[in-house]
Amino acid sequence: MNAIWTIAALTVREAVRRKLVAAFALISVVLVILSGWGFYRLSHNVGFTSGETHVALPEAVILFMFMFSFVVALSASAIASPAISSEIESGVLQTVVARPVRRSEVLLGKWLGMAGVLAAYTAIVTSLLVAVVYWASGYVAPDPEVAAAFVFAEGVVLLTVVLLLSTRLSALAAGVLGVALFGIAWLGGVVGTLGTTFHVQAMRTAGHISQYLLPTDGLWHGAIYYLEPSWFISQQLAETPGAQGNPFMSLAAPSWPYLTWAGIWLVLVLVLGLTSFERREL
Amino acid sequence: MAPVRQTDDGALSGRVRGDPGACAQAPGSPAIYAIELRKRYRRTVALAGLSMTVERGEVFGFLGPNGAGKTTAVKLLLGLVRPSGGEAMVLGAPAGDLQTRRRIGYLPELFRFQSWLTAREVLVLHCRLRRLPRPRWAGAVDDALRIVGLSGRGDDRVGTFSKGMQQRLGLGVALLGEPELVVLDEPTSALDPVGRHDVRTIIRELRDRGTTVFLNTHLLAEAEHVCDRVAIISQGRSVATGTLGELKGPRPSVRLRVDGLADGWWEPLAGFGRWTQAGDWLLVEDMPAGRVPELVGAIVSLGGQVEAVIPEQQTLEERFLELLEEK
Repeated sequence: MNAIWTIAALTVREAVRRKLVAAFALISVVLVILSGWGFYRLSHNVGFTSGETHVALPEAVILFMFMFSFVVALSASAIASPAISSEIESGVLQTVVARPVRRSEVLLGKWLGMAGVLAAYTAIVTSLLVAVVYWASGYVAPDPEVAAAFVFAEGVVLLTVVLLLSTRLSALAAGVLGVALFGIAWLGGVVGTLGTTFHVQAMRTAGHISQYLLPTDGLWHGAIYYLEPSWFISQQLAETPGAQGNPFMSLAAPSWPYLTWAGIWLVLVLVLGLTSFERREL
Repeated sequence: MAPVRQTDDGALSGRVRGDPGACAQAPGSPAIYAIELRKRYRRTVALAGLSMTVERGEVFGFLGPNGAGKTTAVKLLLGLVRPSGGEAMVLGAPAGDLQTRRRIGYLPELFRFQSWLTAREVLVLHCRLRRLPRPRWAGAVDDALRIVGLSGRGDDRVGTFSKGMQQRLGLGVALLGEPELVVLDEPTSALDPVGRHDVRTIIRELRDRGTTVFLNTHLLAEAEHVCDRVAIISQGRSVATGTLGELKGPRPSVRLRVDGLADGWWEPLAGFGRWTQAGDWLLVEDMPAGRVPELVGAIVSLGGQVEAVIPEQQTLEERFLELLEEK
């Protein structure tokens, strides 16, 4: 257990020393300034009726979080892809695994450290967003902390799968595959939504399957749901034709069986990564 | 051959299942014991059945040309790769055993430390990983930096180090916590002559402390300077093992420069060995080294004036090349 914490702390220190945290801080500042300006303009635009502003604010928050969830997922892929493969190529890992530590401890330590950095990043940016939106418009999304947890979970899912790929593939291949899988899963979710709108069962099924194969999009829909005020869904359904086909809308919270599956999926992929690294010859 | 198993900690082990008594596990067991150790990467045979014993407290040279399988053997002994067959025991435990790694220091051939850490931080990290008691960290880190000549650079980032300095730091990491066995894979490959001399001094100091040193090198001069025994590896097998004296072969000779001998001088001297003349020099081959004073006395008694006597022995390099050709 000590070795896990040692490697986790080392991973966090690496994120700080190699300017990853500085890059995150810079992105956060830019996002906050831009969103502050955008939400201020939105809520003080004389061209909008108060009713339009009322609807536009939740939509804008969801769009912001969509963009941010994308940043979190890409960051997860970028930091996980070199974690094992590049360290094997450079010879850093050979000095570590020759010590009395299990390889599983090394991998879990790295996973924990990277997940910790992602968690802190997600929490800080979401908190800043909530504060800035409130300052600019007086609007507060219903459950931003739950939405942030879903965005973080989405990032961790991608982090775990890319870490698994990194035990066998080069950093480049693992990173590219991770991003591609994320994109395909999101597209799968859109296909499922369109299937619902146009009543095409095959498309609905495809969307459903993709959400189970890689639960990033399913978790993203959880984040959407917890950013929607209760009146928002009913109003959208009543006033906008085909609203249920909007990929930035979620009609229901993710079910417990689905969340349980996402948890099991995460553990399975992590165990697969541990086994793969354990068997990897250095 | 029985199948190879993994140890309970998941490390790769070359121990043969169902044959627990094959290797001695007592503290007095050899530092390294390998029998018919094999490694195959798909179609390539990296190690074709290595057998050797390294006694505790000796400096053992592992010599061979590039691609002979030296680094593969080291990785097998440390549990970094899985053997295709055979067995290996290190410090009385199966190769790769988790607990035994606390007693081993390892300098890999190709390695890098975290460039964003300082040298001192790298050493502290390895104190943690090696599970050295915390009160010993400061002393162990200072000792390591001092021994490898990096005392003044402890707080500099590794990323600013030259290759030679990284090699020195690697050696310092391998020496942390006074391990019983130090495995050095090409330790002087990036070092200048001063660095090489320092490494030899460190190896001799380790031997004086009773530490076993396994020195993997292709530099014969290095082995000649510091090793008690060597094994010569070729095409994944050990082709010769022994002390340097044993390996250099049973063919000592002596080269002489003599004046004033009358015709037929060689008849009374023929029994000393095989005589040949090369210019002004006489060469006596296959003569036991202890008979040199007797030979000189015999020449003088025949009226000869001995100007020079040079005892010669086959160099390690000559023997090395000869062994590889025989193979």
